[in-house]
Amino acid sequence: MTVVPQGGGTLSRGVGGGSTGSLYDILDLILDRGLVIDVFARVSLVGIEILKIDARIVVASVDTYLRFAEACNRLDLEAGRKKPQELTDLVGEVTEGGSHGKAKGALSGAAEAVADALKGGQEDDEESEERTEEPVEKRERPARRPVRRRKD
Amino acid sequence: MAVYVYSIVASKHPQRLDDLDGVGDPPTALRAVTSEKLTAVVSDAPEELRPKRRDLGAHQAVQERLMADGTVLPLQFGFTAQDDDEVRSVLAERSEEFTERLQALEDCVEYHLKAAQDEDALLRQILLDSDEARGFNEQIKSGAHSPDLPLALGELVAKEVQARQDQLALSALEALRGFARDERVAEPTGNDFLSVSFLIQRDNEDGFRTAEKQLADELGSDFDLRLRGPLPAYSFV
Repeated sequence: MTVVPQGGGTLSRGVGGGSTGSLYDILDLILDRGLVIDVFARVSLVGIEILKIDARIVVASVDTYLRFAEACNRLDLEAGRKKPQELTDLVGEVTEGGSHGKAKGALSGAAEAVADALKGGQEDDEESEERTEEPVEKRERPARRPVRRRKD
Repeated sequence: MAVYVYSIVASKHPQRLDDLDGVGDPPTALRAVTSEKLTAVVSDAPEELRPKRRDLGAHQAVQERLMADGTVLPLQFGFTAQDDDEVRSVLAERSEEFTERLQALEDCVEYHLKAAQDEDALLRQILLDSDEARGFNEQIKSGAHSPDLPLALGELVAKEVQARQDQLALSALEALRGFARDERVAEPTGNDFLSVSFLIQRDNEDGFRTAEKQLADELGSDFDLRLRGPLPAYSFV
C-alpha cells in the first residue's frame, strides 16, 4: 500500500492514510472539499457526484416510515437498554463505514459502489486492520471512549 | 505530459517527499513545480485515475506530510494540468490569492467530526418517552390494527428521530465551536446525524480534543463519534 505507515492512535498522528476507517470518514473532504483550480481538468471519477446524494436515513418518505415502524416492532422494550449485542451491532456498522449497515436501505447503490471502489483490491489488508484496531477493543470494553482516544 | 496536482505550498516549505509515492499504479514520482513564491507538488498523471483507496491514500499522504512542516493548500482529489508550464502559470496568476490563503491558514488544522447514534437505542428511547408511539407499537404487535397504523407510527417516530438528532447536533456544535476559528457543517449522510469540520488553531488543539472527548463521554456508548484530525484544511481553503 502506498500510504504512509502510521502506527499508533488515529488522533495523535496523521489520520487520513492511517487506516481504512479514517480514510473513509474523510472521503467527502478529499473528494469534495479542497482547493479547486478551474483551469485544470478534473479527472472523470465515477462516483464523485454520487457521494452528494448519499442520503441521510431520516428522510420523510413512506419507505422511511415503514422501516422505522418495523424497527420499532422488532424492538424488545423489556430487554435492558445496554444489551451487549447492541454494541456489537454498532461496531459492525462503524467497521463497514457509515453508508453500509443499517443505513443500507435508504442509500443509493451507487454510493456503495464508491465505497467498494475505495476498498477495491485491499480486502485482506482491510480485514486485518479493522479486526485488530478499534472494533475488537470496543466489543470487549463497553466504555470504549477512553480506549479509542488513547494517545500512543 | 499531463500532471496531477496535489497541493500548493510556499516555496520556502521544505517539501520532504522523497519516500512518498504519487497516485497511480505503478506509483508515480512526486516532484515540485515552482514559481517565484509558491510551489505546487505534482506527479505525472496516471493514464486512468479512479477513486481507488490507494490513490486517495496517496493524495492524502502527501497533504499530511506537507502539513507536518508548514501550511498547505490541499487540492481536491483529481485535478490535472496539461503540463508543468500550465501549473507554473496558475501559480503566477493566482499568487496573491494563494499566498493570502496560506497566511490565513497558518498554524491551523482541520478536525472533522461525524456522529451517529445506535438506532435501536434511539428508537427504544422514543418508545419509552412517547405514550402515543408506544401505544401504536403495541397495537401493531398485537396484530389487530388498521393498515395505516405502521405508517402513522413510522411518521411519528421519524419526526422524533429528526428532532432529537437535530438537537444533539446543535449541542455537539455548541460544545465544540468555542475552540474553533471557523466551522463548516455538511449534510450528514447515512446513519450519521452530524458531519462538521472545524478549523482549529494549533494552540487550541488540546482544548478542542479534550472537549470532544468529554462530549463523547457524556453521550455514552450508544453514540459513535468519529473525530479525524489533524487534517489539512480541506474545508477552509
